[in-house]
Amino acid sequence: MSRNNNNRRQRRPQRHKDVLHTQGGHRASDFRCVSCRLDVSLDAPGTAHRNHCPNCLASLHVDRKIPGDRDADCRGRMEALGMSVRNDGEWLIIHQCATCGELSANRIAGDDNPLALVRLVLRPLADPRTAGRALLAL
Amino acid sequence: MSNHTNNNTLSLSTFACAWCGLTVSAYAADGAPRNHCPSCLHSRHVLDHVEGGPSECEGRMSPIAIAVLRTGDWRVIHRCVRCDELTSNPVCTDDNQLILMRMAVRPLAQPPFPLEAFGTL
Repeated sequence: MSRNNNNRRQRRPQRHKDVLHTQGGHRASDFRCVSCRLDVSLDAPGTAHRNHCPNCLASLHVDRKIPGDRDADCRGRMEALGMSVRNDGEWLIIHQCATCGELSANRIAGDDNPLALVRLVLRPLADPRTAGRALLAL
Repeated sequence: MSNHTNNNTLSLSTFACAWCGLTVSAYAADGAPRNHCPSCLHSRHVLDHVEGGPSECEGRMSPIAIAVLRTGDWRVIHRCVRCDELTSNPVCTDDNQLILMRMAVRPLAQPPFPLEAFGTL
């Protein structure tokens, strides 16, 4: 536990977001998931850059490089493709845009569905052909 | 994939890995063009995946994740260490299976929540 806390202290601070999601008005601080239609609040435990639905992990292709810049004009649905890990053990979801094929990475949030996350992690191991071949070659 | 022929870097029959220095043939045994080192799986950012054509970055790309298509084929997700671009590339048959498997099970080594609760499902 103390090792985790030390890692967390040395970590690069989260990127500052100077662009607002919307310009206020009705439901300025939440969004509706394109995949499962869940109304999601933008306040996420553990991150300031929630970009995916905590229930089905789907996202929307609206930002280009900087979180919240709203610079992409694709607006396609982004599906979770795989899971990556940072050196300090943080999980990153790799999304792929279903419209243009662009890839992006985003940290998981504290209220993401653990079952969906673990299903995503286990996806490479679920297929017996490739995983079995990899294990036989070791 | 037709722009492989007019790209000088990939039209050579071999290339040197940017990470481990291994000299690698540019085509795998089944004739598929290679874009990452089969030993350490590192790649180079020589193709612009957004606009197509050659990229000016030429940074080293390190493998960060394994993705699975609906067909069951594995793909390696690379991230450029210079410009943070992400690409996905198919796995070759002679790629280092130890590194592939290590990347696939890496999230389970440091789960952000206890995995014991899934035993009751």
